[in-house]
Amino acid sequence: MRTQLDSCLAAVNQVLLGKDRQVRLALACLLARGHLLLEDLPGMGKTTLSHTLARVLGLSYQRIQFTSDLLPGDILGTSVFNRESGQFIFHPGPIFAELVLADEINRATPKSQSALLEAMEEGQVTIEGATRPLPEPFFVIATQNPSCQGGTFALPESQLDRFLMRVSLGYPARSAEKALLQGEARRDLLPRLEPILDHAALARIQAEVPAVHASDAVIDYVLRLAEATRTQPAFALGLSPRGSLALLAAARAWAMLAGRDYVIPEDVQAVLPSVAGHRLRDQADPAGHGGGALVQWLLREVTPF
Amino acid sequence: MSHWTRKASPAIPRISLLWLLVAQALVILPHLAHLPGWISGLWLVCATWRIQVFRMRTSYPGGLTKAFMLLAAGVGVYASRGSLIGLDAGVALLIATFLLKLVELKTRRDALVLVFLGFFVVLTSYLFDDSLLAGVYSLLPVTALLAALIGLQQSGLSEKPWPTLRLAASLLLQAVPLMLVLFLLFPRLGPLWSVPMPGERGTTGLAESMSPGDIAELSQSSALAFRASFDGPVPPRPELYWRALTFEQFDGRRWSQLPEPPRAEPAWQAEGPALSYSIVMQPSGQPWLFALDTARTELEQTRQMGDFRLQRRRPVEQNLLYSVTSWPQARREPQASPRLGVALQLPADGNPRARRWAAQLGQRHDGNPQALVDDLLGHFAREAYFYTLKPPLAGDDTVDHFLFDSRRGFCAHYAGAMTFVLRAAGIPARVVAGYQGGELNPAGNYVLVHQFDAHAWVEYWLPGRGWVSVDPTFQVAPERIEQGLEQALPAEDAFRAGTALSPIRYRHVAWLNSLRLSWDSLNYAWQRKVLGYQGEAQLELLKGWLGQVNATRVALILVAALALLLGSLALLLLKPWKREHDPLLRLYQRFERLLAHHGLRRERGEGPLAFAERAAAALPAQAREINAFAQRFAWQRYAGTATDAAALRRVLKQLRRKLPQRRWWGAGALVRGTRREV
Repeated sequence: MRTQLDSCLAAVNQVLLGKDRQVRLALACLLARGHLLLEDLPGMGKTTLSHTLARVLGLSYQRIQFTSDLLPGDILGTSVFNRESGQFIFHPGPIFAELVLADEINRATPKSQSALLEAMEEGQVTIEGATRPLPEPFFVIATQNPSCQGGTFALPESQLDRFLMRVSLGYPARSAEKALLQGEARRDLLPRLEPILDHAALARIQAEVPAVHASDAVIDYVLRLAEATRTQPAFALGLSPRGSLALLAAARAWAMLAGRDYVIPEDVQAVLPSVAGHRLRDQADPAGHGGGALVQWLLREVTPF
Repeated sequence: MSHWTRKASPAIPRISLLWLLVAQALVILPHLAHLPGWISGLWLVCATWRIQVFRMRTSYPGGLTKAFMLLAAGVGVYASRGSLIGLDAGVALLIATFLLKLVELKTRRDALVLVFLGFFVVLTSYLFDDSLLAGVYSLLPVTALLAALIGLQQSGLSEKPWPTLRLAASLLLQAVPLMLVLFLLFPRLGPLWSVPMPGERGTTGLAESMSPGDIAELSQSSALAFRASFDGPVPPRPELYWRALTFEQFDGRRWSQLPEPPRAEPAWQAEGPALSYSIVMQPSGQPWLFALDTARTELEQTRQMGDFRLQRRRPVEQNLLYSVTSWPQARREPQASPRLGVALQLPADGNPRARRWAAQLGQRHDGNPQALVDDLLGHFAREAYFYTLKPPLAGDDTVDHFLFDSRRGFCAHYAGAMTFVLRAAGIPARVVAGYQGGELNPAGNYVLVHQFDAHAWVEYWLPGRGWVSVDPTFQVAPERIEQGLEQALPAEDAFRAGTALSPIRYRHVAWLNSLRLSWDSLNYAWQRKVLGYQGEAQLELLKGWLGQVNATRVALILVAALALLLGSLALLLLKPWKREHDPLLRLYQRFERLLAHHGLRRERGEGPLAFAERAAAALPAQAREINAFAQRFAWQRYAGTATDAAALRRVLKQLRRKLPQRRWWGAGALVRGTRREV
């Protein structure tokens, strides 16, 4: 299992150069059955990452480009009348894929956004009275562009909370970029990648994540972190119980990726910026971001013992 | 092995050097007043040299240079002090070597020598000044020396000097209770050998003889003579005649005391109410003490002389605390004795007009000396006599000139002239010198007597009544007695009371004056309660507490108090109630302490493995043990396995064995591991 995960990471890293940590976080997010929000400028490899993940993990892949005129039906699917059979036949939308890339999610109206977010939370969609289950596994990678905010609908806190992690890819290192420029186009590598896991293997691994041992000491640490976000005056919003659950789940997945069957404080610390960053608000700036500095404060001041 | 030791001998850490230099400056600062000027130059040279050595701009001086410097310092002390022994020269020599040691400051051992020498030099400063200010000031050099001492144990990589200083200050603070216990209980041993006191201090004060201008000169000085606090209310000013000594010999110009002051105790009977008070005397360089008439004191090696003064065997070279009981109405030598003849001595000739006048007075009041004295005092009051600090110069017959020509004079003129006339009229009389009045400090309810309160008055003898004091100055300038010199001489700017910077000059500024008096009261309390707490005072206090004082008892109490103190300090510092209960965490804390000794501290938010990784990078030779411990700890603590503290303890022990030993002496840190490699 360890080797499988390692080769998954290696395969993705072949395509996405120099982003080892982000790839690992994305995989941990997936293993913890969470959804991922990628926040970065255009052209940083968001799509490549999601596509590669889908490929390596043997998942079906769909991409939805969110625009302001996108309707919920465009995501979920619609029933079309079949004249021959005289019946409405349901045409599933792009949401019915195992890995869905929701590109530039903040460009769509809240109505369309919530259609996606509901699906993410429930694992099923209800269309025209019929409840249809989404495939299993189901993993959404949403992206948003932080810089061009004109004409966008920022995700409210309640919906940000649905994402297990928020990750930024960032610029590649010089050496990675050089290799990128020298090598062949990354997208061309994709079709050649062989799936490493099948559905059964992925399901098995996902089922093992909750079994990773989290000792009292680690749970206490998570509690101390959550408590600090709730009691310290710098925090406008504390971490919700869903947030602390997410933190522990992500730490478990991270520990598993590290080949350990127990969680240590370093695992919690490794996932903390991605898990908590988008859930925290600075008291001085409650509307904007600022979670980053708060997370650094947590890492610095809350003792793991 | 020898090349080994040299190689390992540790350099002095930067912070320690810094604090050593600061401490040196602070240590010699109070000495500068009495040190030859070139000493500060020497310090600058040595300090600059040592700093340049630290910056690797120059090297340590060679043996020959050092020998030359030492010799030059010795010659310098000899040249400026005329000797190499004695307190002044000894301290100068000590400080010179203290400074010279700087340029051969190479190893930790040298620095230790320098630090301990510094503590000793701080002590010697008390020989010159034991005031409150000096005592408080000496905390500064002591703190800096402690910081240097702590800095010696720190890694050379430490950057900031302040934490070291803070630690030193907190150490000093922790020592306060210990100091109090020792101060209260530790027996004061008499001096094992006598330390020669700093001489040539230029103390102002009453001299052994008096010519008319002497006391006027003394009135220019605002130096403190002594302080007196009464057990009851302070008597009114006109009753405060502090006797110092008597002048019984007149050579026509100068009054002086007898070459052999009468040693036999005079006969006197206590009469009337007694006054008891204690006096803290400033050093005077003279053996006599100050007291109101007629005084008795329990001070050792002190006795009442034949002229009723109190005299000690040795001159007063340091602040002296003594308590006195006085009977102002005592009857002194009511029976005639052959000694009275001395009180009639006059030069064979001179001052004919005064002698003639005395004869007239004698005839007028034949057989009634008291009437004669009253007539004489009345004469001073009636006729146009003036009280001034600047009398015109007299010729040969000073008494004649004063009595009949100038009629201007200071207390010494009046007292001298009156005594002369009384003697010439056949009444035994003498001049008494001392201080009159004093400044009441309401802050502490005691009397401050300054040099400008110096005064001279007259004592004459009546058969059956004994010696009677009288003050002719009172007839001329009663305000001198009732209010003080300043009020008596408002117009004379001759009364300057010290320099422009002397706070006593600004007595009319109310807040400044009360500030001065409060400060003085504080200093006085320091003298009396702190410096004066020895011998009798200590014994009395201990008696009050313990009932009976004997050596065993005091020793027992001392040990018990120290044990109690150290115990509670240990409790406070180690906080056993905060002891970690989880054995794993306790071991981890030991691990942390172990690494902290090598300058590695876990950040607050740092996890065990992250810290181990950092520590392993810093101590690559011990990386294996560090990682082993951290891995095992993490495994036991987080993997849900059963705790096996013993195994963890074993790993910790291995790590401890592998870590370099920290030795503060000589060869310093020898790494066992590296020894094998060498």
